[in-house]
Amino acid sequence: MAVTVLIPAPLRRFTNEVSSVQIEASTVGEALTALDAQFPGIRERICDADGRLRRFVSVFVNGRDVRSLQGLETPLREGDEVGIIPAMAGGR
Amino acid sequence: MIRLPRVHYEAILEHARTEAPKECCGLLAGKSGRVERVYRITNRADRAVDLFAERGLMPQSGADPSRLPNERYVMDPEELFRALREIEAAALDHLANYHSHPATPPWPSRTDVEFAAYWPHVAHLICSLVDPDQPTLRAFRIVNGQVCEVPIRVEEEPIGR
Repeated sequence: MAVTVLIPAPLRRFTNEVSSVQIEASTVGEALTALDAQFPGIRERICDADGRLRRFVSVFVNGRDVRSLQGLETPLREGDEVGIIPAMAGGR
Repeated sequence: MIRLPRVHYEAILEHARTEAPKECCGLLAGKSGRVERVYRITNRADRAVDLFAERGLMPQSGADPSRLPNERYVMDPEELFRALREIEAAALDHLANYHSHPATPPWPSRTDVEFAAYWPHVAHLICSLVDPDQPTLRAFRIVNGQVCEVPIRVEEEPIGR
């Protein structure tokens, strides 16, 4: 399944400033593994040592947060768009 | 330098007042340092207790999720994603994030500095409502934990427009 992964500005230093990448994957987890094969080190910014999605990162399939879908097991279809964004947070 | 047309400056202050006592949050987009669009984003801190707890950044007032948005903000991830996509589609730059400090001065807190680590390439605007009659808006760059103020120039609309 060819899908597009959109790389957010804070992670583009891993991708030589490239903002979107075409990869083959059938789940979100596979997409992140394939992305890391191409750009080593990027996956550990997104997942912890146990392979779980880091709390401050959200991953989207066609704009929907995978936490409300099936997490890293969320299936992908041809042409899907995978997005990644670190939390924007703070407080007084 | 952030160039902020008066209408957008007022929109940020209005957002802060509307949400108080909760913190408001949003994005600013534009070109060449001049803001053209303000995106209001929903503060979802009430759903993100663990995000702050795992970093030891919970407020002293306690862990009541319904009160957390008064002292913390987390931009709704899906809204944030949509806004960033829109900004890119419009060929604008994501210039800044903004949020409010309803009861504290407009200076980045430890929590602000820690989470800014993911967004060093944008400015961080803070609107303080300490004096409700005179809200203050200031902007900062936060890079490697170092806070540096960025001037904001509020641009008045040309006369006759």
